[in-house]
Amino acid sequence: MLTDARLMELVRAERRDEAIALLLPAFRRKVFGLAYSFLRDREAAEDVTQEVFIKVWRALPGFDGRASMSTWIYTIARNASLSALRARRPQSSLSDPEVMEAVEAIDPAPSADVIVDRTAILRLVDQLPTKQRQVIMLFYMEGQSHEEVAAMLAMPVGTVKTLLHRARARLSAAVGNVSATA
Amino acid sequence: MSTPDSELAKHLQALFGGLDTSAGFDARLMARVRAESRTDAIEAARHARQQERARYRRAVLELQHSRRSMLRLLTLDTLGIALLLVAAVVTAGPRLSREVMEISSQYGPYVAMLLGVLIAAVPLVGMWAEQTRRPIRLL
Repeated sequence: MLTDARLMELVRAERRDEAIALLLPAFRRKVFGLAYSFLRDREAAEDVTQEVFIKVWRALPGFDGRASMSTWIYTIARNASLSALRARRPQSSLSDPEVMEAVEAIDPAPSADVIVDRTAILRLVDQLPTKQRQVIMLFYMEGQSHEEVAAMLAMPVGTVKTLLHRARARLSAAVGNVSATA
Repeated sequence: MSTPDSELAKHLQALFGGLDTSAGFDARLMARVRAESRTDAIEAARHARQQERARYRRAVLELQHSRRSMLRLLTLDTLGIALLLVAAVVTAGPRLSREVMEISSQYGPYVAMLLGVLIAAVPLVGMWAEQTRRPIRLL
């Protein structure tokens, strides 16, 4: 089982590669999701994810265990994502054709209605305020808990719940409107 | 029957639930980690070599400094001995017997010259030894 103590042990034994090999399956999707929630671009998010793990690997000897490993990794991931966001030129959107293709690829054979619904929902999510969008994406990514999303975004759990509630209400209202006009 | 909220949740889960990196991500990352690891090892070795060179250079400089100090000390020592000898001769001179005085007046200049040569030779020999010894080469 992956514990901070086990990781510290590996770092002390100068076995950082093994530590990263343990961290990777536990945090890869979370870091990728976090980067994606900032960047909204799969390729950029993947690059950031790789950078985050390389940074973690480099910084592991300096990890003092004052914060938990997950908090530490999420902080690195947030900072790396924000840097990548600042360095980026035009901002891509969840409604980009590339993203649409990725969405369609999730379900191998969705019905036409489902594609329309998901495309519409993606557009609606894209229009949400940044924090609400991030919370929605991270919460529904592999069923994260409120606490996990709060840790990932460095927010109080209450704020996450509020943002999630507002985002859902906004999306429900918007979906209602879309259905009514369709 | 599903409510619109649960429908929405289902769609959101379908949209974001499968969010993951592309295939081969882990292998690419681990390859990069290994490459970084090698670069790190090379860099660490270079750093260690640099540190060792600096330490050796410091040791050589200290050794050279200490040799010069020894040479100075030896010169001053010889000079001190010569002065003491002169002082001893001057102090003890009047009390010496006539025979000794005669011998000393006969050989005095030679003794003085020998002392002078000795005093002059000590730093010269020291300098010669310093210049002809095998030079200390830096790594």
